Amino acid sequence: MFHILATGLPDEVVFWLEQRLGNVSVQTTQHGKGALETLARQEWSLLVLGPNLDHSSALGVLNSISREVKFARLPVVCCLDKSQQRSLTEQLVRQFGATHALTLPFNQEELAQKIASILGFPAPVRETPGQQEHRATTTAVGEVWQRFKATIQNRIAILEQATVALLDGRLDENLRQNAEREAHKLAGSIGVFGFPEGSRLAREIERLFETGTPLDQARTLRLSELVMSLHEELEREPFPREFVSSSGQEAPFIVVIDNDRGLYEWLPLDAAARGFRAEVAPSAAAAKVIFSHQRPDVLFVSLTCLGNPEERLALLVELNSHSRPVPIVVLAEDDTLVARLEATKLGGQRFLLKPLSLAQLLETASLILRRLRVSEMKVLAVEDDPQTSAMLRATLEAQGFRLTILDNASAFWEVLEQVIPDFLILDIDMSSFSGVDLCKVVRSDARWAGLPVLFLATHVDTDSAHRIFAAGGDDFLKKPITTPDLIARIVDRIERVRVLLDTADTDSLTGGITRQKADQILNRLFPLAKRYQQPFSLALLALDHYQQQKDQYGSTVAKKVLRRLGELLLRTFRAEDVVIRWGENQFLIGAYGMAREDGVQRVAETLESLRQEKFIASHEIYFQATFSAGVAQYPGDGIDLLTLSQTAEEVLTQAQKAGCNRVLPAGWQQQPIQNADVVLVDDDESLAGLLLHALDTRGYHTQWLRDGQAAVEALAGNRPQLKARVVLLDVGLPSLDGLSVLRQLAQPGMPQQARVIVLTARSTEEEMLEALELGAVDYVTKPFSMPVLMRRIRRELRK
Amino acid sequence: MELAKHVLIVDDEDHIREIVQVSLDIVGKLRVSTACSGKEGLAKAEAEQPDAILLDVMMPDIGGLAIFQQLQDNPLTRHIPVLFLTAKVQLADRHAFLTLGVKGVIAKPFDPLQLANQVSAALGW
Repeated sequence: MFHILATGLPDEVVFWLEQRLGNVSVQTTQHGKGALETLARQEWSLLVLGPNLDHSSALGVLNSISREVKFARLPVVCCLDKSQQRSLTEQLVRQFGATHALTLPFNQEELAQKIASILGFPAPVRETPGQQEHRATTTAVGEVWQRFKATIQNRIAILEQATVALLDGRLDENLRQNAEREAHKLAGSIGVFGFPEGSRLAREIERLFETGTPLDQARTLRLSELVMSLHEELEREPFPREFVSSSGQEAPFIVVIDNDRGLYEWLPLDAAARGFRAEVAPSAAAAKVIFSHQRPDVLFVSLTCLGNPEERLALLVELNSHSRPVPIVVLAEDDTLVARLEATKLGGQRFLLKPLSLAQLLETASLILRRLRVSEMKVLAVEDDPQTSAMLRATLEAQGFRLTILDNASAFWEVLEQVIPDFLILDIDMSSFSGVDLCKVVRSDARWAGLPVLFLATHVDTDSAHRIFAAGGDDFLKKPITTPDLIARIVDRIERVRVLLDTADTDSLTGGITRQKADQILNRLFPLAKRYQQPFSLALLALDHYQQQKDQYGSTVAKKVLRRLGELLLRTFRAEDVVIRWGENQFLIGAYGMAREDGVQRVAETLESLRQEKFIASHEIYFQATFSAGVAQYPGDGIDLLTLSQTAEEVLTQAQKAGCNRVLPAGWQQQPIQNADVVLVDDDESLAGLLLHALDTRGYHTQWLRDGQAAVEALAGNRPQLKARVVLLDVGLPSLDGLSVLRQLAQPGMPQQARVIVLTARSTEEEMLEALELGAVDYVTKPFSMPVLMRRIRRELRK
Repeated sequence: MELAKHVLIVDDEDHIREIVQVSLDIVGKLRVSTACSGKEGLAKAEAEQPDAILLDVMMPDIGGLAIFQQLQDNPLTRHIPVLFLTAKVQLADRHAFLTLGVKGVIAKPFDPLQLANQVSAALGW
């Protein structure tokens, strides 16, 4: 019989503990002096500092104990508030090596297991009542199945007959209708016995037998395949694992905040069909009430329902008061940058467009919940002590984790890259190599920045705690480790990481910045720009014809384009600029201290690089990709991030409307053909092609004249046909040479608006001087570098 | 102690009735009685006054819809909430059922492990 002293533990839990464990006697005491006196009075096996005890009291007790030598080996189990976990744990560990911590929310089963493991007796994991019920039901249904199996198989026989008749070409209307009816009945029955796949097969068979469906060769073959599969299906065990694994645990709780009554009429019923519980709240305030009673497992929020910022804030505060983060899916009326920004502010993990069906909503919930389910979590452990390995295996594999254990570090990196674990367990006390060093190595690679690392240690003191956290470890557990401890730590961590990640794709496409993080950075940089009066540019890019590419080449190939674009953007922009994937085929870039023009340049350069690339769709099929972009700047194009992004979005749309494959600055306006930004007067076709393309890409309005005469006719005179801001004038022109053109343009009395840059292959000093004399503003010799020329042109355009 | 709620299942297929019974009893802790035809269903509904009726839509003697109509017409049974069990679950049909006054629609095949939850959710139990 073990004697346990507990303080800060509710009476019913005390009672429950004694029942649950059997060989313990638990005495409660008031904290403070009362506890210490009671402690002194007799020998205790263990001390519990329960959840009702506040921190200072807990520390007070621990402090006092630590002064007495006789309590040095008394195990203490302490319930900690997660928000103070790290600092408090360190403190506890520093002073009280024998302490074991349990995190809130308080789970009495966890406490029981912990006590049992410390005191050294087994406490087998109990089945919940829910699990018991489910087991009883599946057994009972199994018995019914045994009695009806023959009847069902007879029905399938009819389907077989019909299929054979069909193959022989002698299927008559009677037989067909019969088969259709039987298939229909089967579709409704088989699933009920625990063969959901069987129902699906029967339904497909029913559809094929439906009157009006032509039964050609392909369909006939399909029919016989289906009937065969149906037979096989019924030979299996009813209630396949996926069916059962969601049952028995508490039904996942879904909350929807939306005021669209009609849509959610059937929600509770449909949700129940999937084993969920669902509630609809018409406003954030109503939802808050729900959350104060129970934490939702998934939350759907309609943007239209969150009117004012206070409501939103209050909601987020309420959500964050729960220990585990809640996955949030945002429902929006349309897919705009603004909506997505709002979604990110809410911490939305996913973005769904309305109108949507209940099935879609529930399917999304299923998807999110599935990802959180244990059986898909991969754990990699590096542990060289066979006893601990055995324990890990027994615990984790029994719970359904996919576990890989390494007993030495030599293959560590390869295995890490192969397994791509969701969680890493390192033992700190390994003989041949250091867990701490392994952790440092892992953290040095950006790819593993989000990987949770848990250390196992027999003895933890201040130094080792410091080393663990300094090396990048997230948590540690003192041995002996209990199952609930370990499981809770692991599941919790993985959940946190997954909720933070948008999708795996986003992460890998933009070098590891998640949308939330990016939003944080943007929100930090923008006010800085305001304060220090720096420009701030925001660019929004969208890959052109992305849907067609997906349809034509498949989404894997289409994603390659995205990935490559992401790489090019990261290369062209500076390290401090924010580059993130935004929506399916878009990228958002935020650059502090960068003016719009510079932003346009960089994006245009990226576009030009992308144009050079050839993407392989499949054997000998290549394609190229382009994008459209809009660039906006603060100050000037918006007063805050929201208006700035709205402007960027508008400009992007303009670029798409103007023909895609270009980058436009905010404030760009379609010009009539007589107003050009740049007029090129040159007969060199390839030069023209290159230059004009580069200019068009940046949104400049251009015109091309091929000889001197045409140039004079268009540009000269007091009412010129063509108005230009900059003229690029080649000297060596047919019909009339460049300098002559210049002379015509420089006639007195002529409105000299255009700034002329003279291009020439020859470079005699005389020519140069004459050109400048005639009013040319600049002189560039061929061959010139495109970037240099572009820079000169832009400089003149600014004036 | 509250008396367990009573559900009447009306379905012509033996195994469906049995599984509904098993499922609602074990998981839902409900009392279940059965009827294998529309006629029997109407008679039992009037006699036993269940708290809810689970009604199969496609039955050989009288269709589920006709049965529902008769239940509504009878002053002794019109207050009993009815849930349809059907293999047809198109949205249009559902809306039609709802306008009739049916309390909910449960699709066949149903998951015996979730049936009790669906019934509770639909009836607010």
